[in-house]
Amino acid sequence: MTRKTTRPNWITSFLAVVRYELLWNIRKKKLYGVIIVALALVTLQLVLRIILSNVANQPLKADPDFAITGIGIGDMGFFLFALVTVMNSISGEFESGTIVPLLTKPVSRTTVFLGKFFAASVTLLGTYVVLLVYLAAGSAALYGPQNNLHLLPIVLFGNIVSTFVWMAIILAVGALSKSSMLAALVGVGLWLGLTIVGQIVAAFSGQAWVLTYLPGTGASGYAKGIDSTPPFGNMSLPSGLQVATGTFSIGPNMVTYILHPSAEVTFYKMEFIPRGMPIYTELYTETLSFILTRALVVTAVYILVFSFIAWYALRRAQVAE
Amino acid sequence: MTLAIETVNLTKRYGRLTAVDKLNLNVTANTVHGFLGPNGAGKTTTIKVLVGLLKPDEGEARIFGEDVSGDKPDVRLRIGYMPELPKFPKHLKGSELLDIYGRMYGLSQQQRRDQLPKLLELVGLKGREKDLIGKYSKGMQQRLGVAQALLNEPELVILDEPSLGLDPIGMVEVRELIQGVVKEGMTVFLSSHLLFEVQQVCSHVTIINKGVALVSDTIENVSHKISGPTTLQIEVTKLTKTMVENLKKLPSVTDVKTEGNKLNITLETQEDVRPQVSETITNSGGTIVSMNLVGQSLEDVFVQLVSKAGEETGGENRD
Repeated sequence: MTRKTTRPNWITSFLAVVRYELLWNIRKKKLYGVIIVALALVTLQLVLRIILSNVANQPLKADPDFAITGIGIGDMGFFLFALVTVMNSISGEFESGTIVPLLTKPVSRTTVFLGKFFAASVTLLGTYVVLLVYLAAGSAALYGPQNNLHLLPIVLFGNIVSTFVWMAIILAVGALSKSSMLAALVGVGLWLGLTIVGQIVAAFSGQAWVLTYLPGTGASGYAKGIDSTPPFGNMSLPSGLQVATGTFSIGPNMVTYILHPSAEVTFYKMEFIPRGMPIYTELYTETLSFILTRALVVTAVYILVFSFIAWYALRRAQVAE
Repeated sequence: MTLAIETVNLTKRYGRLTAVDKLNLNVTANTVHGFLGPNGAGKTTTIKVLVGLLKPDEGEARIFGEDVSGDKPDVRLRIGYMPELPKFPKHLKGSELLDIYGRMYGLSQQQRRDQLPKLLELVGLKGREKDLIGKYSKGMQQRLGVAQALLNEPELVILDEPSLGLDPIGMVEVRELIQGVVKEGMTVFLSSHLLFEVQQVCSHVTIINKGVALVSDTIENVSHKISGPTTLQIEVTKLTKTMVENLKKLPSVTDVKTEGNKLNITLETQEDVRPQVSETITNSGGTIVSMNLVGQSLEDVFVQLVSKAGEETGGENRD
């Protein structure tokens, strides 16, 4: 036999953990379930305009920007992918008892944490590449040749960074509670709360800016001067491309910034009136570069803070059971 | 004398419950050391501190002189650990798991290629290595546990209840495996609540109860240290009253009971008095057909120590 008296180098240990985690991730049935759901949502997104055109009896126009300005994976997609890739990444090891042989190998807990996070990122990257390629191919097939496809890697980067926010939060809850169920419940609760309740409360109170600093879509404004097609015909929306400020909008905002570097975004308060269309009152205007920078900083803070909490919890964890 | 394991006043508490109480443990390198105690005695807690899964509340624990508290991969490199009822990721195949753990130990691809088939053969998993661990029986998981503990030919192998949950054949096989490991010149620290397992496999033993070490020495010395009656069972051709009276006159004999041609002689000493007894019987006109010295087994010592500790301290056991 072969007695080893010196530790392997860090890269070897790290790659061993990545391999361990990747084999788990790619064999998760939940992941394939979410990919199927995501493919279904992207398909719906691709055909929705065709359905609406048919319903409204209007001819379908070619849209060379559909792939790059399309909604893509969407907020729910980011959250679901984060959930399935990391909800039991740390807590599941504690629940099943597999943490015991893992943490007694000559690999530091920091390496275990980084390896797990990296493997989840690789899984996410692979999944998102499949979805974006499908979206681009579908856009070209249905709406004609597409412009700016070289910007798709930027969208990919933005989507992954956006998903990291939820990954870090769910990892932290899982590592602290050592319960996958609790991690999932807290994640779902936060997502629902921020996405649905937060949006409604913020929109009607005129304080939507708060959402910019919370994980999610953020506040919505309109970049005047940039043409866009309203999603549902002639709604009384302010003119311009809709821009969201949150951590989930980094990919689209990066693309918009590259295409329109001097774009400015105006934010409105929405008020409903009886038997009429909502009234939009202008609140304030920000440059897109500022919105993007702020979103990147907010995202980085969330990722770093919650990743640190998850790492610290794993590093301090005692395995009594 | 190198110490593979050393604990000084090691204490671990779970809330109000003291699982390990000022434990002083010395395990000499290149020995097979049994760690014996009833369920809930604190064996697994002690081991978890040694392998870095738990932090001690007080005292110190060292492996080959290095403090184990904190995240110490260098210390863990020297240990092969088989947990009690080991659990491995069900989504991995047996060979994948050993390959990944081998990478974590820094074994090269060639070393893994050489090592893995040997280990799988050793633990009797050859032919099943391509199956998912989720399809393994409890016994197969135990075997895999032994294999992963030996991957790196560690200097110290810690086995926590390796026979737990196994059928009798599996238990014998695991014992044979451990004896095979001893030949490789490793230090083995074997935790068990099975007395016969420790007695058959180990050269040294520490008996623990309620988190406190009751005794620690070679198995022979432990049995010897605990003074207790030894019985000589003798069968003679013809039993006479004179013979019984002469035997009772011997200084170390406390009692002589008879049944047919059989004698049960209770001795007060741990010394071997068989020559004197034999001479007395011969001089009394008898011929010995058989003679059997029944000493204290480890089981007797264990029961005696644990009962004594229970009477003195009271309270609950814990692990």
